[in-house]
Amino acid sequence: MFLKFNQKINTIFLDTDSKDFFITEKVNVILSPSLYWVKKVSLPVKYAREVKPLIPSLFEDILPEGNYNYFTYKKEDHFFIFAYEDKVILDTLKEKGIAAQHVNNVYFAQSEFDSISNPLKINEDKSIYIKDDLVILLPSAWMQTEEELDIETVSLSKYFIRLNQFGHIVESKSLYTLMIILALIISIVSVEYFIVNDKITKTQSLRDELFVRNNLKSTMIQNRSMLKEYSTLHKRQMLFREYTSYILSISLTPKQSLSELGLKGNKLLVSFTGVSKDSEADILKILKSKGIKYTSNLKENTLEIEISL
Amino acid sequence: MKTINPLHLIVLLLIILLFLFIQLSGAKDELLQTQETYKETLTLTADLKGLNEIYSDQKGVRKAIEMILKQHALKTANIEQSIGNSSMIISSESMDKTALNSLMSKILNGSYNVHKFTIKRLSDTKANFTMEIKW
Repeated sequence: MFLKFNQKINTIFLDTDSKDFFITEKVNVILSPSLYWVKKVSLPVKYAREVKPLIPSLFEDILPEGNYNYFTYKKEDHFFIFAYEDKVILDTLKEKGIAAQHVNNVYFAQSEFDSISNPLKINEDKSIYIKDDLVILLPSAWMQTEEELDIETVSLSKYFIRLNQFGHIVESKSLYTLMIILALIISIVSVEYFIVNDKITKTQSLRDELFVRNNLKSTMIQNRSMLKEYSTLHKRQMLFREYTSYILSISLTPKQSLSELGLKGNKLLVSFTGVSKDSEADILKILKSKGIKYTSNLKENTLEIEISL
Repeated sequence: MKTINPLHLIVLLLIILLFLFIQLSGAKDELLQTQETYKETLTLTADLKGLNEIYSDQKGVRKAIEMILKQHALKTANIEQSIGNSSMIISSESMDKTALNSLMSKILNGSYNVHKFTIKRLSDTKANFTMEIKW
């Protein structure tokens, strides 16, 4: 594992006219001046980060139509500003046989060869050369140099860029904005989730407290069953009182009398004496009018009524 | 490339968001169910407590019946009391109709579990009375 970290990463020089590479491991890439635009500017600012927002306007007049990314670094009192297209570089890499996942860091020839004293041939036709502090690409024939670029001797600087594979489809800024929005929604949903869970816990605690405070049985089935028993009892007691009041309100003739009134189980039992066949209906009519279910039996002037509660 | 693809990150965030939405939806359903159960328990507790206090309060029922029986109109009615573990029986071999009316109205207007009772007419003014009240 440590060996992997200490592994030396090879460096290649990428130009539109470079020969094909056959890369199977990670490499650092130095971009030829043909793959980027560079300017040396003097600005009344101290830091490179202050320059970055200004770069698009500084390139405004010279860049052809395209989707550019920008980079800058400070050297002495000047800033070197760069404009490059991720897609152009990625397409060139692909064309030269380098998969995007094999690219480690990407450097500009400007930052890596700014101290060369002689022109260097990068291939048969092209050489790099410094003019007015800028690394430029010229036909080798103009320079009449035999010295070739030895990429192995290059000591890489700290100035490198990362390529965005989808930069040409969606702007990075939009993607980051979308990511921030999603992250915010995730945060809100997470907070809501925790609040809902907290409410569940609190409601369950309140319910448990109810059980303890009121000495309820351990399960709701037992408690429901108990309530059902009590409700049935309560209903029967109410009916008993209601029906008894109806019985006691029945108007009797002087010959008639209420001889017995009783409650056994779910039955209310009533006996009237001195009841003739003709007067039976008068006694029973109040029960009928109230819709009370009963059975009656008239025997030897005694009317026996049985009412179910 | 060393950098993580932002689109991959967005997909990951969307998956996390979807997962959280599902979790939140489940939690909301659970909360609703818990709240409904709590409300049901609250109602059940109130009903159960009320009915239990009416019908199962042994001391309360005994005290209330004894208070009724101490009334002047009932003192002369020779009412006997017999108290068991789960019920009390009050009875009189012969009580006059005024006392019976008074006793019946007090008991029927109160909340007692009248388990059994019998009134038998003895004469125009007298009756035999038995009542079992449970708790």
